[in-house]
Amino acid sequence: MQRVANLSELRAKEAQAAAIEVAELSHVYLGREGKVPALEDISLDVGAGRFVVIVGPSGCGKTSLLMMMAGLRRPSSGTILCAGRSIDVPDPDRVGVVFQEASLFPWLTALENIEFPLSIRRAPRLERRRRADAMLDLVGLPGFGARYPHELSGGMKQRVSIARGLVQDPPVLLMDEPFAALDEQTRMTMGHELLRIWSQTNKTVVFVTHSLTEAVYLADEVLVMSPRPGRIIDRVEVTLPRPRTYEMMATDVFGRLRERIWQKIRKVN
Amino acid sequence: MRPAPATVRRLILVLMLVLWELVPRAGLLPELFLPSLLKTLDVLVRNWAEYGHALTVTLYEVVLAMLIACGAGILIGAMVGGLSRVRQLLLPVFSSLYAVPIVILYPIFTAWLGVGSQSKIAFAGIYGFFPVMLSTAAGIQSIDQNFLVAARSMGASLPQQITRVVIPASMPTVLAGLRLGGALALIGVVVSEMLTAAAGIGYLISKYRTVLDSPRVFAAILMILVLSVLFDALARSVERRALAWQTAGRRDRQLPVDKETYASTALPA
Repeated sequence: MQRVANLSELRAKEAQAAAIEVAELSHVYLGREGKVPALEDISLDVGAGRFVVIVGPSGCGKTSLLMMMAGLRRPSSGTILCAGRSIDVPDPDRVGVVFQEASLFPWLTALENIEFPLSIRRAPRLERRRRADAMLDLVGLPGFGARYPHELSGGMKQRVSIARGLVQDPPVLLMDEPFAALDEQTRMTMGHELLRIWSQTNKTVVFVTHSLTEAVYLADEVLVMSPRPGRIIDRVEVTLPRPRTYEMMATDVFGRLRERIWQKIRKVN
Repeated sequence: MRPAPATVRRLILVLMLVLWELVPRAGLLPELFLPSLLKTLDVLVRNWAEYGHALTVTLYEVVLAMLIACGAGILIGAMVGGLSRVRQLLLPVFSSLYAVPIVILYPIFTAWLGVGSQSKIAFAGIYGFFPVMLSTAAGIQSIDQNFLVAARSMGASLPQQITRVVIPASMPTVLAGLRLGGALALIGVVVSEMLTAAAGIGYLISKYRTVLDSPRVFAAILMILVLSVLFDALARSVERRALAWQTAGRRDRQLPVDKETYASTALPA
C-alpha cells in the first residue's frame, strides 16, 4: 500500500511538473539603429496540462518568445527546457506549433497537410493515414480530408492546423494567434472547440493572443507582457471553473479579470 | 443562352480557315499575297521530303534549345532566387540584359559556331533562358516565409524544405516561365534559321520568299503555326496536371454551407 501511495504521489508530482521552463531569457536583435532589446529577463514555468495564454501589445515579443519555445529561434541568453530537456532545434515529438494563418500548404489536401510531419519522419503510409484520419475526427472535420485548403473556410483551416500540430502527439502545443484572422463568431466557436480538444487530449497549451476576452475565456493563467523590451509584468490566475461556457463571459468575475489585465497593459503603454 | 467561349473560339478559327480558302479563290487577293489553304496544303504534301527534313532539323534545334533554356534557367534562377548574395550580384545584370534584343548577338554566334544547328541552338537557348531564369527567381523569392517556418517546426531538414516546400510552392511561376521560355526558344530557332542557315523551316521561308514562291512560303509558315500551337497546348496540359490543386473543386464542388453558419451549427461544438 505504501508503494502504491508513493507511486500515485509521484504521478501527481509529475503532473504538476513543468512542461516548459523558461529561465532568465533575454533576447537582443540587430536592427538598423544597432542592438534592440526585444525580450528582457523572462522566467516562467508552464505546468503539464495547463492552458497558459500570453497577452501583450503588438511588438512586445510574445510571438518571438513562442518561436523560441518551439526551437525555431535562439534567444541571446537564458534557457528553455521542454519536458526537462533544452530545445535548440524544432522537435515535433515534444512541441507542436499552430500558426496564425496561411501556414497550411495549398498544394496538399487537408489530409496530406496533417500527414506532413509524419511523412517528414518517413512514417509508414498506413500509419500516417490512420493517425491523420483520427486527427480529422478529433478536430471535427471527418470526411473533409480530400479538400484543399482553398476549399475550406477560415475556421476549418485552423482546425486542420490544430490537427497537424497534434498529429505527432507532442505533450506541448504552442499556438501563435491562431484565430486572429477569423471573424468574431467563428473565433468564439473555435475557442470553445480548442478547449474541447485540449480537455480530450491533456496537452499543455501556450497560446499567444491580443484578444483579452479570448485570453480570459481560454486560460488557466494569463501572462501579461510589457511593450518592448518584453517583460512579464503580471500573472493572472483565471479562477473560472471548467468546462467554460459562453455565459461566463457575462459574469462579474470574467469582467474583473479582463479589466485587471487591461489596466496593466494600459498603464505601461 | 450565350454560346460557351470555347465554342466561339473554335468558330472563329474555322471562319479564318474558310476565309483563307475563299478569299484567294474569289480573286480578292492575288496568289503572291495569299495562296489558298488547299493550295498551300497541296504544296506541303507534294514536297514532303523537303519539308519533312526541314521539320526534323528545326525540331532537333528547338528541343535542344529548350533544354538549355529550361535547364540553365531553372538552375541559375533557383540560385538567384534562393541566395541573396547571388541575387544582388546577378539580378540587375540579367534584368538589363533581358531588355537587349539578343538577336544582335546572332551574327557573332554564326561566326563562332558556324551556320549549322549549333549557332541556332545557342542563340535560341539564350533567348529562352531569360524568362525561365527570371520567373524561377521570382517564384522562389516570393515563397511565403510562413511555409518554411511551418515546415521547420515540423522537423523538415533543409533538403526536405526544398523538395517538399520550395519546389511545389514555386511551381506555378516556374511553369509559366517555362511556357514563355519554350515559346521564345521556338521563335529563336525560326528567326535564326531565317537569317543565316542551310536547313530548317525558317530557312525554307526565307529561301522561297526571295524567289517569290508564295505557296511554298505559306506551307512553311503553316508548319510553324501548327508547331507553336501544339507546343502551347502541351505546355498548358502539363501546367493543368501539375497545378491541379489550384482548380480542385472549383467546378464540381462548393463549400458545404455558408462558412459561418457551418462552423457554428453543422459541426459538433
